[in-house]
Amino acid sequence: MNPAIALPPARRLTDLLSSGPDAGVKSKRNAMDEPRKDEDQQLVARTQEGDASAFDQLVVKYTPRLYGLVYNMTSNHEDTNDLLQDIFSKAYKAIRGFRGKSSFYTWIHSIAVNMTLNFLKKRGRRFQLSLDDVDASIQNDKEFLEATASTSPVREADLSELQKRLNEAMMKLSDEHRAVVTMFHIQGMPHAEISKILRVSEGTVRSRLFYANRQLQNYLDEFRKNPVT
Amino acid sequence: MRRLSSSSSGQGFRLLARLAFLAAAASLSAQQTPESATSLSREVKDVFERCAKAVVKIEATDQHGELSGTGFFVDPTGTLYTAYSVGGEAENVTVEFKGKKYPARQLLADLRSGIAMLKVDLASPALPIGNSDQLEIATPVVAIGYPLDLAETPSFGMIAGFDRKCFGGYFPTKHLRVNLPPQRGEGGAPLLNLKGEVVGILLYTFENNSCYALPIEAAEKIRSDFVRFGEARHGWVGANVTEATTPVEGSRAVTKDIMKDTPAAESGMKSGDVVLQIGRTTVHEPEDILDASFFLTAGDVVPITVMRGNEKLTFNVQADFHPVTRDLPRLPGMPPGGLIAAPPLSNRAIPLNLQSVPERTP
Amino acid sequence: MDEFNDNEITKLLRLKRYEQPSPGYFENFLHEFHRRQRDELLRQPFWRICVDRARDFALSFNLSTLTSYPAAVTAVLVCAAVISLRIYQAPQPATVAAKDRPALVVPASSEPEWTLASPVATRVFNTRSLRNIKESAQTHRSGTPRYVLDSVPVSYETTFKF
Repeated sequence: MNPAIALPPARRLTDLLSSGPDAGVKSKRNAMDEPRKDEDQQLVARTQEGDASAFDQLVVKYTPRLYGLVYNMTSNHEDTNDLLQDIFSKAYKAIRGFRGKSSFYTWIHSIAVNMTLNFLKKRGRRFQLSLDDVDASIQNDKEFLEATASTSPVREADLSELQKRLNEAMMKLSDEHRAVVTMFHIQGMPHAEISKILRVSEGTVRSRLFYANRQLQNYLDEFRKNPVT
Repeated sequence: MRRLSSSSSGQGFRLLARLAFLAAAASLSAQQTPESATSLSREVKDVFERCAKAVVKIEATDQHGELSGTGFFVDPTGTLYTAYSVGGEAENVTVEFKGKKYPARQLLADLRSGIAMLKVDLASPALPIGNSDQLEIATPVVAIGYPLDLAETPSFGMIAGFDRKCFGGYFPTKHLRVNLPPQRGEGGAPLLNLKGEVVGILLYTFENNSCYALPIEAAEKIRSDFVRFGEARHGWVGANVTEATTPVEGSRAVTKDIMKDTPAAESGMKSGDVVLQIGRTTVHEPEDILDASFFLTAGDVVPITVMRGNEKLTFNVQADFHPVTRDLPRLPGMPPGGLIAAPPLSNRAIPLNLQSVPERTP
Repeated sequence: MDEFNDNEITKLLRLKRYEQPSPGYFENFLHEFHRRQRDELLRQPFWRICVDRARDFALSFNLSTLTSYPAAVTAVLVCAAVISLRIYQAPQPATVAAKDRPALVVPASSEPEWTLASPVATRVFNTRSLRNIKESAQTHRSGTPRYVLDSVPVSYETTFKF
């Protein structure tokens, strides 16, 4: 199991040569993430030795993050829930084979993205949007205030309208494009991490993002010209 | 109820006169219709009697449970068309034919067209394939299907439109809108003209008494891909088209971008080219691209004619696989997603001043 | 005309982070995960459970013990005993759809098309848990199939690309 990961040009050769779980991790990550790497390593090791409670801790740690990823790709809460269960189930069964060539973070995200893409491929377009409620704390978000304060027609939309349009715009994208948009814009992952998770070059990630951004732009522009209720 | 006032009694007389005239006209036309009505009803009955035997009830199980739909044979070896929702993601598929149930296997399931092809091992009656290009608004059509748990049932209606738009997007190719009342269980039913030829496959209900059918040519494109390659091969050249403000040579479809590393890019097509012809499809507006795109086959060469400034250019572009079938991230250990692309031919622009004749049409 | 640039898109999309599941969802998730693991375990064939348990048991020792044949046999026998006791005590898997999701079940005899007798085969077919589709869950239980005629297309295009 040695997939050819096209890593971006390394700042240090030692990153590429190292075989530990931090291989290839770029310092783009903020300092807060670093302790997590070691913590993950320990939890994985304990799980592999048979300590199921260590895996529980990984589940608790990664569920909120993976929820965001899967939910924004599927726009359906029930499907997200089922997928998350399957993802962790699969991870648990496969963890014995996890050698730490990538970080656990990358590994589990990779499983999550692939399972979700396969699911979306099968689901096709036959789906119901099942959107989560927007948390009330959004009203304190600076960007939200900006987005709803401006005088442009789209920005005058109230919160649920905005949510609906954003989701519609997202669902117009192809599954693969929605995946990169979710990872980059919503989850805030750097290009390098996305390229490792998807096993494509960073160039491909960037071009997919560029393309997806333009599609979103077009769709939201179109919406402005022809608002559909 | 308003009383007629004295000032509107004149109006009342006029109204009565009008009604009397209409009644007379109606009785006159009633005397004229029996023959045409009889011949029409005879044609419809004929179609049903001839074609019903090639239409089958399909039962299967998918992840939601048991399902029931309709399909029909198109060749004497038991090849069936049905809707994707019936045969696309289902297991334990059985086909009921002449009172007996036969197991069926899936040959192909194509989300883009919305159909699936199944196979039953028996010698089957086959419906002749018609031509949806010959249909016009108000052309009468017949559907034969298995609504609910009932026996084969005819429906009669007429073509109401040829639609591209649907539900906030576009159909992958132009669909037939039909004013006949479809019923649950009739997904996959054949739509027949009065000659008894299949012109469409009933797929979606619309506003209760109306429905959408995939034109049979679209299904046949998929089937022909299956015969040639064993699978559907959606083609792709990598161009994005938008609406031009002024038409150029009759076309409003101007290329907005040419995507990098695509057959269109390699052939020399450029942003700003106004698309005039893609294979056999003449392009007048951006929506025409959808039909042309649907009929592209990956690996086949398609001539694309554009207007660039004052020059009419034709590019012979070898279509690649459509993005829906490639570039899927893969799990470790799995083979690369997508299919093996045929080696590209050299794509050269052929500047022509004459209308180009397509060498090979999709 | 183009009021949206990439930055705007990013800002709007980030707002989607505020779409969160109902309170308590994440707290309950682990609990649900354990429940599913137990369900899956109970539905495995007996021999498979023995092998898995034996392997887990053996791996908890070092390698040299693993290669010991008597140790392996003992491990299997011990596991078999333990598991057979457990299965004997385990409740029957739910055969009625719960409020949220129908449980994976061994097919009832009222469905003659389901000739797959083995629970393993059933589980292989149901690789994804059944969806929360209340109508089909009901029709499934009552024995009538879903009569197919979609109201939305299974796929559609959004741009003029070819």
